[in-house]
Amino acid sequence: MRHWMIGLALAALFILPAAGQTPSTYKAPRSPHKDGKPDLSGIWQANNTANWNIQGQSARQGPILELGAAFSIPAGLGVVEGDAIPYQPWAAAKQKENAAKWLTLDPEIKCYMPGVPRANYMPYPFQIVQTPTHILVAYEFASASRTIYMNSKDESPADTWMGWSRGRWEGDTLVVDVNSFNDQTWFDRAGNFHSEALHVVERYTPVSRDVLQYDVTIEDPKVFTRPWKMSMPLYRRAEKNAQLLEYKCVEFVEELMYGNLRKKP
Amino acid sequence: MAISGKSRNALAVTFAIAFMATVTGASPAQAQSAKAEPRTPWGDPDLQGIWSIATITPFERPSALADKAQLTPEEAAEAEKTFLKTQNQDRRDGAGTEADVALAYNDFWWDRGTKVVSTRQTSLVVDPPDGRVPALTAEGRARATARAARGYDSWQDRSLWERCITRGLPMIPGPYNNNYQILQTPDNVVILHEMIHDARIVPLDGRPHVGQHIRQWFGDSRGRWEGNTLVVDTTNFTGKANYRGSTDGLHLIERFTRVDKDTVRYEFTIDDPTTFTKKWTAAIPMARTDEQIYEYACHEGNYGMVNLLKGARAQEKAGGEK
Repeated sequence: MRHWMIGLALAALFILPAAGQTPSTYKAPRSPHKDGKPDLSGIWQANNTANWNIQGQSARQGPILELGAAFSIPAGLGVVEGDAIPYQPWAAAKQKENAAKWLTLDPEIKCYMPGVPRANYMPYPFQIVQTPTHILVAYEFASASRTIYMNSKDESPADTWMGWSRGRWEGDTLVVDVNSFNDQTWFDRAGNFHSEALHVVERYTPVSRDVLQYDVTIEDPKVFTRPWKMSMPLYRRAEKNAQLLEYKCVEFVEELMYGNLRKKP
Repeated sequence: MAISGKSRNALAVTFAIAFMATVTGASPAQAQSAKAEPRTPWGDPDLQGIWSIATITPFERPSALADKAQLTPEEAAEAEKTFLKTQNQDRRDGAGTEADVALAYNDFWWDRGTKVVSTRQTSLVVDPPDGRVPALTAEGRARATARAARGYDSWQDRSLWERCITRGLPMIPGPYNNNYQILQTPDNVVILHEMIHDARIVPLDGRPHVGQHIRQWFGDSRGRWEGNTLVVDTTNFTGKANYRGSTDGLHLIERFTRVDKDTVRYEFTIDDPTTFTKKWTAAIPMARTDEQIYEYACHEGNYGMVNLLKGARAQEKAGGEK
């Protein structure tokens, strides 16, 4: 009896493909623009705790006593390959300081555009609108958006919050090279950060109708000792009536940012 | 500003089409169907590209032009010349004078456009035929007065634009960031506004508007094709959007028509009976541009709001009246 069960388990191991092998078997529908490329259009959202912390963490009490269990901080496995971020020593210290001053320093709290890749794993949906020359990524958070210029060599005229994105197809994978960032955005609420030398390479691979595998390489020689990787699935918002709504959060932070300048009665 | 033979021909064609439509009752779509028009691979009219609505044509018709709906080419050239002269922000009005301080943002910062609209209409408002926004209702007047009285007590007294929330709808020429990019898929038309990076996604799949509890700065838009015209119907505005005193009952109807290679005609109708005594319509030609859309990080760099409020508090302290 025992042997029979072990045998079945072993058979399953050999027959079922590992997660990493799935992409080769799925063929995404082609774009209606008839350029033969896979169609990544749709509304997508991560479903993980990376915006809390791209590394693994246990649950803990949130910073606002009154909010109790409703807004405490969930546990998560993390999305960083090997769960280690190769900070230079000074940068490791700065990350700790950032984490300690999260509420005053995290740009998310001020409704600033979140940068890339953070925008892709915040707890809000985003929409990919695909054409052969331009792919627009529109985010619900702060109405941030960015354009991916396909097969372009143009350089950004200035540093930006959302980066300057240039894309190309490698088979059915959309590869996006993003640079020209400023040093103001973070990776998460845990104080993980970068400099203006940040260079991000994103890979979007359709692995089923409703899942994009999202793999990111982070390079920043001013902050890290070597390039490192994150990966996660992005899920399609499959509701029939799915649409981006507004999360125009400027209104929600004005009292926090300008309250001290209000006329005293 | 001589008009080339080529554009004169284009103008003649435009008028011929408008004329045909008037006399035969044919829709512009039918009148134009003989021309090879740009189409998407799935057969929709192709509106894609980057378009500018920068213009010096006034929103409402100036009283001096009360009976004149259109400028002649010579008048248009003269108007452009005059505008360049009087609106030149690079001129200096004597160091230390208030007029000079008001020119602190010189022409480097502005991108208002330098030309009247290609149709040479004397106002962007085209209906009513006098080119003026119809009178406000009593309620609308009260809202407009309350708005005008606002000062600098808090950010809430300032415009949505100054607060970097949005410049909202409809699309109106402004002092800069007048570029819009249109992208299309079979299911959506997307209009990316350079001003405060608003990407407006308009579903075409016939779905109903969202429920009444959902209120948005951009409302909730649904699109459909009527011949060659994209018609966008928008409801569910938040009353806070407050376009010219309008309420959450505002119903906005917009029409986008590709009239030639370099022009999309944009037309919008404002229907809000509690604010305006009748519906009204404006038309703005969107001109193709080779420029790109860049990131406009408004809120992220809103030192203006901080300085404005700080200035008001400093003035109070110094015993100034505001």
